[in-house]
Amino acid sequence: MSVRARPTSPHLQIYRWTITMAMSILHRMTGIANYAGMALLAIWLLAAAIGQEQLMMVNYVYGSWFGQIVLFGFTWSLVHHMCGGLRHWVWDFAVMMEPGQREAMAWGTLVASVIITLLIWTVFVWVA
Amino acid sequence: MRETIITSETVANPKTHYGDAKASTRHFMTQRVTGLINVVFLGFLLFIVVRLAGQDRADMVAVIGNAFVGIPLALLIAIAAIHMRNGMRDTLEDYLHGRVYSLAMLLNTLFCLLVALAGAGAVLKIVFWG
Repeated sequence: MSVRARPTSPHLQIYRWTITMAMSILHRMTGIANYAGMALLAIWLLAAAIGQEQLMMVNYVYGSWFGQIVLFGFTWSLVHHMCGGLRHWVWDFAVMMEPGQREAMAWGTLVASVIITLLIWTVFVWVA
Repeated sequence: MRETIITSETVANPKTHYGDAKASTRHFMTQRVTGLINVVFLGFLLFIVVRLAGQDRADMVAVIGNAFVGIPLALLIAIAAIHMRNGMRDTLEDYLHGRVYSLAMLLNTLFCLLVALAGAGAVLKIVFWG
């Protein structure tokens, strides 16, 4: 069996922007953000395992305005990647791929991720 | 395994393949299965963070120290790390090749291993030793 090189795609700039393309790029970007963000969870848990003093230090940073902005972004990133993943999972069954349907799915992930993120922060942070 | 020239004969030949048939199928399925498990992980994470954000160590030990919370949490963190490594592999495969790819993949594995060991390790420490 001979192996040939993987195909490469033309540069992004030659394409007209479509919502499916934008969501595909966002899916990868949020995936990379989540990849880095998981370190924040590990640091928090690690601090809790080590001691009260270390935990308070992490809580201070995560509770600061900058930490809260990062955590809000991380929440949206996680939710968006989840919605995008579920969209891909639906597409894996070769349904919802027709013109109109796929655009609706792509808009749906964006709208759902924003609504779910705002709902989480409203219910559990801003109102609580 | 990267040829620089792809002739039209190579493209026309149905016996040539892109990538590794077995490993690629495994990566695809692993990514779907771990991804679906991560939906559960996010729900669980929401519960943990909402319950414990900004709390003292004693509160965290009281909640995570419960084996029915801590052990699933440790397991889900490890599964998320597998998803992270596979997802980053997809990205690296698109942009890097040859030895640079191998080096990036090594760093990717180390980072995911570190997150899994630190995250799941910390949780298990709290479960078994408080």
